[in-house]
Amino acid sequence: MDAELSVPALLGFGADGWGWALMAAAGLTLAVALAAMAIGAVLGAALAAAEASRRVWLVRIAATYGLVMRGVPELLVVLLLYFGAPGMLAGVAGLFGLPAPGSPPAFLTGSLAIGLVSAAYQAEVFRGGMLALPRGQIEAAMAAGMGPVVRLRRVILPQVLHHVLPPLGNIWQFNLKDSALVSITGLAELMRVSLVAAGSTRRPFVFFAAAMVLYLILTSASSALFRMIERRGSRWAGGR
Amino acid sequence: MIQTSPSVLSARGITKSFGGRAVLRGIDLDAQRGDVVTILGGSGSGKSTFLRCLNLLELPDAGTIEIAGTLAPLAHDRHGKARIANPKALNALRAKTAMVFQNFNLWSHMTVLDNVIAAPVHVHGVPRAQAVDRAHGLLEKVGMAGFAGHWPRQLSGGQQQRVAIARALATDPDLMLFDEPTSALDPERVREVLDLMRALAGEGRTMLIVTHEMAFARDVSSHVVHVRDGVIESVGPPSMMFGPDASPVFRAFLSPA
Amino acid sequence: MDFLGTTSLGLLRAVPVTVLLFLASALGASLVAAVLVAMQQARVTQGLARAWIFVFRGTPLLLQIFMVYYGIAALGPIRHGFLWPAFREPLFCAWLAMTCCCSAYIAEVLRGALGAIPVGQIEAALACGMGRWTRLRLIVAPQVLRLALPAYGNELVMMIKSTSLASSITVLDVTGVAQQVIAHSYRTLDVFCLAAAVYLGMTAALTAVLRRIERSLDPLGSARR
Repeated sequence: MDAELSVPALLGFGADGWGWALMAAAGLTLAVALAAMAIGAVLGAALAAAEASRRVWLVRIAATYGLVMRGVPELLVVLLLYFGAPGMLAGVAGLFGLPAPGSPPAFLTGSLAIGLVSAAYQAEVFRGGMLALPRGQIEAAMAAGMGPVVRLRRVILPQVLHHVLPPLGNIWQFNLKDSALVSITGLAELMRVSLVAAGSTRRPFVFFAAAMVLYLILTSASSALFRMIERRGSRWAGGR
Repeated sequence: MIQTSPSVLSARGITKSFGGRAVLRGIDLDAQRGDVVTILGGSGSGKSTFLRCLNLLELPDAGTIEIAGTLAPLAHDRHGKARIANPKALNALRAKTAMVFQNFNLWSHMTVLDNVIAAPVHVHGVPRAQAVDRAHGLLEKVGMAGFAGHWPRQLSGGQQQRVAIARALATDPDLMLFDEPTSALDPERVREVLDLMRALAGEGRTMLIVTHEMAFARDVSSHVVHVRDGVIESVGPPSMMFGPDASPVFRAFLSPA
Repeated sequence: MDFLGTTSLGLLRAVPVTVLLFLASALGASLVAAVLVAMQQARVTQGLARAWIFVFRGTPLLLQIFMVYYGIAALGPIRHGFLWPAFREPLFCAWLAMTCCCSAYIAEVLRGALGAIPVGQIEAALACGMGRWTRLRLIVAPQVLRLALPAYGNELVMMIKSTSLASSITVLDVTGVAQQVIAHSYRTLDVFCLAAAVYLGMTAALTAVLRRIERSLDPLGSARR
């Protein structure tokens, strides 16, 4: 038991210190969350578009996806991809007569899992954003002779972004925190590293507290950033 | 409750600023029992703020208020900021008044009947059965008999305001305050509510009314107060205020050239 | 019996654990949230309440669970104190972490609802001389309940899903059983689908109950004249 090592030594950047490991882990957490957000944004936009389309089967698929992914615990999705990915990939490879590729990197399965869930929530947000845009604004832009690209850039996007930014900020926060679930894949993000450190030094309280502080820094910096972006983008919207 | 003294309201030196901007600059006003005082003025003149100071929905920076013999428990801390010295005394003071708001402010989670009996039962301790009886009588009086079980959301603006008046009457207040009671109503509904208020005035109710309805002010008031830039510009009976002897400023206000 | 049948039975047998953890956490979190909101009204206690909400909303629930189970439970006073029998149980630790975590989210929901009460109705209550407790009882509390219900319902649905994290500290809830089956059978997709169905069933039941409560509190629905 490292009872002799003080807290600063444990957390510090010296020989026995876990400081660098924790910093790197926090960076990896950020990376996982970013990747998940990106995957969720692309997939979410596709789902929103599908639900807005007139094709019944597209709408049904999108709606079912949303229902399932919002109703199922994120941990289960992570488990699905972590345990199931090698088998699924092997099956797909087998169809083409290729050898099984083994298990994909933990970063990939982890961020994909979070991203798949995030997509369901982002789809809802995008749907709401599309609905919130008053039709009259588009008509005014058309009447003024703006082409589709200009309309998108100057009229549609700014207004949709304004509606969409606050809930996306929330989803980002959830992505940051859900990244902790990726720890079960063994990826050395913050949750996992603090767990490993706690186990190896037998000082769980110290390392979990340190991890909490690091997560708090990530989440509060994020909300400050989002608030700033919202304020900058809302100058035309007037006060509430 | 018999109020022996005829003075229902005595306000002195009411002053109020919002963020450095002086809205009320020392207003004195008295009202005797049975007076119907109409307060007129342009937007931003401070008339609504003054009314809201009387039941301390706004706290005046300076001045005293006495309603039916009770002094308002106003205190000022060392920074000059106003605060309530005694919450219980404040509630007792407010219990002697009743306010009718521009936006009706009926409690949306209560039926019409519950709205009317809420204050009598829970503030004045009237037994529920008695309050319900009286409420039915008042609803009939304001022309809303049969609506007791309705929800505010189901009513039009004019109907809601009439219920609000019944609610105000339910506590038998010494002083009734009306804050632009018809400003949020459709023109057809304005007439109904004004007629109701006319009837109340005829019964001898003591009423303070902030309004834009000039004809009503001329016909019903015992005296008219013109507020401008946070002070009383002129005051007098309608015959004077709406006649040739009125101040030129007020005459200009009445008919903008 | 075939694999799917046995697995389904195993999962369903774990439902009471999930439901128990959910109900106990929902109760605890709601009570603590009410206390937090009350604390936010007084200047002295405001800071503590805000700090609590900041910490529990800003860190992952999984970390909080580990903190309670491995961290706090390892502390001397706990290990040798009278609370040890409780902290020794993973289910208790999961409940404690969930209560603290979800109380922060529910407190924010309540705060939002408080702010959404139309100011005019509060003024009408003030104007007729209602005292603080009367206002709270007659006007504020009923309005907060109605206004908070949709968002509160959302938080409850998220809580059912959060119970799955208890499996990480050996609790045999639905996810815990699912993990066991996957580990020795490797039929991941099948187990996932069955477990997903169980969770979807639970959230559907909860949503139905919430909708009924919403209807009874608001007999007119969104009907306007």
